[in-house]
Amino acid sequence: MEPLNRYLNAVGKGLPEAQREDIIRELSEDIRSEMEDKEAELRRPLTEAEQQAILKRRGNPVLLAARFRQDHRSVAFGPQLIGPVLFPFYIKVLSFNLGLTFIIIATIFIALLMGGQNVTFHAVLSSILLQLFIQLSAVTLVFSMIQRHLNRYPDSWNLRGTGVHLDLKIDSSIQSALRGSGQVPRFESVSIIIASAIALVWLAQVQRHPFLIFGPAAYFLKLAPVWARIYGPIVLLTLLGMVQAAINLFRPRWTRFRTLTQAVLQAAGLVVLYFLLKAGNLVILADGVAGSHVAGYSRAINLVNQGIFYGLLVAGLISLVQVVLKIAHLIRGQRNMPPLPGVDVKC
Amino acid sequence: MTHYMTPGTDTHDLFENLRMELRRGSLILAVLAALRKEQYGYTLRKTLADQGVAIDEGTLYPLLRRLESQGLLVSEWREEEKRNKRFYHLSAEGKVILKRLLAEWQSINSSLDGIV
Repeated sequence: MEPLNRYLNAVGKGLPEAQREDIIRELSEDIRSEMEDKEAELRRPLTEAEQQAILKRRGNPVLLAARFRQDHRSVAFGPQLIGPVLFPFYIKVLSFNLGLTFIIIATIFIALLMGGQNVTFHAVLSSILLQLFIQLSAVTLVFSMIQRHLNRYPDSWNLRGTGVHLDLKIDSSIQSALRGSGQVPRFESVSIIIASAIALVWLAQVQRHPFLIFGPAAYFLKLAPVWARIYGPIVLLTLLGMVQAAINLFRPRWTRFRTLTQAVLQAAGLVVLYFLLKAGNLVILADGVAGSHVAGYSRAINLVNQGIFYGLLVAGLISLVQVVLKIAHLIRGQRNMPPLPGVDVKC
Repeated sequence: MTHYMTPGTDTHDLFENLRMELRRGSLILAVLAALRKEQYGYTLRKTLADQGVAIDEGTLYPLLRRLESQGLLVSEWREEEKRNKRFYHLSAEGKVILKRLLAEWQSINSSLDGIV
């Protein structure tokens, strides 16, 4: 796809649907006219780099699209966390996440009902509210960080590959790492440290409070013993990930170190996953559950176990592909680069 | 409460904000005046830039849409040089408003001349 179409596609994503086609036609005409003027001046067709330079001068497509929107809603708790530019995307992601979460919750409760369990309104409501709180907090946190980045670096975007990217994607920094010329964004390192710290606290608490993972189903569900065995390795891998992020925070040019460490940690994660999948039962009946409901609970537990098993299997396959790609890129990078690429020992 | 302003960036930002405010009203006047003659977006931008009123497309096109929705401009898609372009020109109401705005602007200008 030519740069102009990529740019217009990116602008289009942020435009109000009713006017999208009209605005894109007009913008397209404006940019084509400028390109034609430039070609007439140079007396030759523009190269892709020259086309990209013209588009770059037009500014960040996300910001350009926002100028056409009448919707100026934002999220603010005192200071503004998410401005009108990102607000529509925030709503879209939040709606998608909540929709997906509620489908999962509904599936679990339907499975419980089909298993003959007594599902109370209070149990459903508390699960929904808990998920609402978690999703709202997580998505708001992520978007407020993106907003902060966008405020500080409004011109940090590019037309690489098949689309337009804001230069805050972890993938793009992996790509730059693989090229050996980029830096690990500090935004990424800080995000990993914060997310890992939250994950560690959650992991510690979930041992004592199963409600944090099962919600009201913690009444009859608990984690199988295999989780206790892999708890140590999971904590260790998370800590190592934080160490890598902390190192890259102070040594952002150590991009190959980052890619290599992440590939090793991800491979180690696959070993942990293998033990989980091998264990079979990942949740079991909670202590003290007895009586006539045991058979129903067991059916529900079987369904949950199957769901987790296939979920982990898919996650494992995706992770395996990522590890292979990272290693392949590292090898390719090694061949194409001068000695000691990526790791800037002078930093 | 005393507010201490950091010299440099803060002063620059403040100036930029005030300059934008000053320009905002003038841009509408410039666009309306330039559209007494029918033009499409790109030539309008060039006309304005040639006269020293540079305006980026992220400002111009939303402004054109707003002025059109207010009934001050009329637009139509038409083919020119084998490409479809959207041409804008002043509406009858736009001509009246422009005349009044120009009178107001000249009045402000002469008042300001007296003050500064």
